[in-house]
Amino acid sequence: MRILLAEDDFVTRKFMTNFLSKYGECDVTVDGMEAVDAFMMALEEGDPYDLVCLDIMMPVMDGYQALVGIRNLEKERNIPAEKAAKVIMATALNEEKNVKMAFDLGCTVYSGKPIDQDRFEQAMKKLGLI
Amino acid sequence: MAEEFNTESMLDMYLFENTQLLERLQEIVLEQKDEECFDEDSINEIFRSMHTIKGSSGIMMFDEITTVSHKLEDVFFYLRESHPDNVPHITLVEYVLEVSDFIMGEMDKLQNGESADGSSADLVARIDDFLKSIKGEDKGSKGKKKEEPAKAPEAAPPMQFYIAPMATAASHFYKIYITFTPGTDLVNVHAYKIVFGLKDIAEDLLHYPEDIISDESSAQEILDNGFKMLLQSQSSEEEIRKLIGIGYDVQKVDIYECTAAEYQQGFDSVGSEIRIDLESSVEEIQAKAKEAEKVKEEAKPIAPGDFVIQTKEPGKVKKLAKDKPKKAEKTSYISVDVAKMDMLMDLIGELVISESVVLQNPDLKVPGLKLDNFNKAAQQMSKISTDLQNVIMAMRMVPLTNTFQKMNRIVFDVSRKLGKDIDFEMIGDTTEVDKNIIEHISDPLMHMVRNAVDHGIESKEDRVKAGKPERGKVTLSAKTESGKVWIVVTDNGAGLNREKIMAKARRQGLLEPGKMESSYTDKEVFQFITLPGFSTNEKVTEYSGRGVGMDVVMQNIQSIGGTLEIESTYGQGSSMIMKIPLTLAIIDGIVMEVGSSTFVIETGVVKEFIRVSKSMMLQEPNGSECVMIRGECYPVLRLGEWYNLKEYRKDVEEGMMLILDIDGRKMCLFVDHLVGKQEIVVKPIPNYIKKVKGMSGCTQLGDGSIALILDPAGLVDL
Repeated sequence: MRILLAEDDFVTRKFMTNFLSKYGECDVTVDGMEAVDAFMMALEEGDPYDLVCLDIMMPVMDGYQALVGIRNLEKERNIPAEKAAKVIMATALNEEKNVKMAFDLGCTVYSGKPIDQDRFEQAMKKLGLI
Repeated sequence: MAEEFNTESMLDMYLFENTQLLERLQEIVLEQKDEECFDEDSINEIFRSMHTIKGSSGIMMFDEITTVSHKLEDVFFYLRESHPDNVPHITLVEYVLEVSDFIMGEMDKLQNGESADGSSADLVARIDDFLKSIKGEDKGSKGKKKEEPAKAPEAAPPMQFYIAPMATAASHFYKIYITFTPGTDLVNVHAYKIVFGLKDIAEDLLHYPEDIISDESSAQEILDNGFKMLLQSQSSEEEIRKLIGIGYDVQKVDIYECTAAEYQQGFDSVGSEIRIDLESSVEEIQAKAKEAEKVKEEAKPIAPGDFVIQTKEPGKVKKLAKDKPKKAEKTSYISVDVAKMDMLMDLIGELVISESVVLQNPDLKVPGLKLDNFNKAAQQMSKISTDLQNVIMAMRMVPLTNTFQKMNRIVFDVSRKLGKDIDFEMIGDTTEVDKNIIEHISDPLMHMVRNAVDHGIESKEDRVKAGKPERGKVTLSAKTESGKVWIVVTDNGAGLNREKIMAKARRQGLLEPGKMESSYTDKEVFQFITLPGFSTNEKVTEYSGRGVGMDVVMQNIQSIGGTLEIESTYGQGSSMIMKIPLTLAIIDGIVMEVGSSTFVIETGVVKEFIRVSKSMMLQEPNGSECVMIRGECYPVLRLGEWYNLKEYRKDVEEGMMLILDIDGRKMCLFVDHLVGKQEIVVKPIPNYIKKVKGMSGCTQLGDGSIALILDPAGLVDL
């Protein structure tokens, strides 16, 4: 499974890379813009990411913008819903309106930080990723 | 419950919304429990509630709750579409309540930070069987209809899940304060090394001063004021100390474990630059209009792009394009910490005392002083202070509705278990009482309601034999009267048996020697059941009969200054009447003096002041005194004598007699003279003084002296 990670804080980045590498090959970006660029690159190479993990608070472009960008790229290529990448937003922001907006924009899983690893795995199983 | 949900985190919202739905569900079900079946509207409402709960629980990944609500939703979907007859209504009612209880139980666990680990499998299986059985019965009669109405084709919702942040039970929050040896060079670099060393175990780490890498002045700051860190980590204190290390440069390390709340407050003492909440970034935002910051941020919608981190310069806090939304302040309600309300109550009490110290000040008693303007101003101030008192008392008032609703459920449960058919009626449940009172009457009420159901209402056969309707009735009513709230539990059951109680009292030696049994009023006889260990029950049931309930009920009621009266007619029913003063803190009192002591008694019980003559006094054979006033005989209590005071007036013609009426019991109090009528603030008697009968508190008067507050109920027992 190909995984794309966007996280601007070094410590968290280390942790997330470690954590996600269990599930597949993990590519790391440090802000929203890089994440969208990386996603596009993968699409063009014909080897798209299956799972994208986005932080929300990032420089240049935030997680929401990146999410919109990614979904737009997929729409443009007419990628059907079943084949679209699963997007996980992981963030310390926990308020209802944040979660709602994330779901509205097309996010698959919203996980508060610190990440509950067991629940995370449970969700991955439900989504058929592992 | 609203107080607990004042953040708007996803979990809190989930719990809040679903609790509301389930409470409403319980109401509907109990309202219609006696009907043949649920009406159209109720079926729809229950269906919608279950549907909503199923959806949100699915997102939150609470599988057990999702499955059980889904199952119940299926049942109500079937009811809605097929309108079957002969659905065993009471069984359905019980299932709905069972599901509701299960979900509430799981939500309680989540509220306490535990995980929702209950299994609903058994319940789901039973409901499934139930559903099959009602479908099975129905297939025959409604053959024409299509087999099973296809489930409303909902567009399969995209699978979306919310994972709550890990319960930080394992995370500790530490405040770390490091002092370096004075004169250490490049101390900011040392600090950086420490920060770096902690990063591995840190879930969250902040430090002050922030820029220790490029800002040289931070070194001086650290030498002067120490290096402060806020650390969130699962590691223990020792592990942290080891990582920090003590070298020649680190002089002292102080580590305090704190609560999550304190952690969120950030570095309180020094400088306001660093704050964990991102409010500090508001002032520096370029994009948003200034007014937005001043106005309550409640309904500000968020949009993609709001969370971009604007600057990432060394030493500056991360700034967002948008301020992090503040906790919503609902325009119609604010949830307030009860502790603050208590403080407010105390302060208004102090204000009342202070006011009388000012207004009754001896300095003002200069003869010939013209105080017209002063008095006018004083009146105005008194008016405002009274208004303030009233508003504060009103703020603490909460309607009894929730408490009464709980009783509804109890009547239902207990009557079901005992096989009795009982109606429950509520009157005046919108009556409001002080929050403190609600907390104290909940248990006594529950006990009395259980008693009514268990002992009061007889079994169906007994009732029929006695010519009463099969269905018993328990009524709970509340009303306010003369500064007190009356809460009454009435049942139309068996009533109390005076002879049985008298006999038991006799056996237990509780009767007063010399008093004839017939001279005991019914009320007095019934009061015996409130004594510890008193029960005329031959056997003990799960719910009552041990004789340990009513005395605890009495204690609870008395602790809030209330009284319990019991009325009953054998064969017809009983009433338990709780009378609770509406406000505990400030009362209208009559101030009087006996000897050199000052006493206060509440105005409500004083009926008359009268000067008596010696001829009106009578001596009883047992030594107690009586006075004849207008043909009636009142027992007399000489306060001076009772409390062994010095220098009090002994001659009845020199003192004053107060006629007291305490809920029908009359007596006379003999004091030296009256001082006046005053509003006084009740303060509790301090712990280091033993309880004295007849005294319920103390207060400070306008001239600064202390007066003792008399407890009328206690006096009448003397």
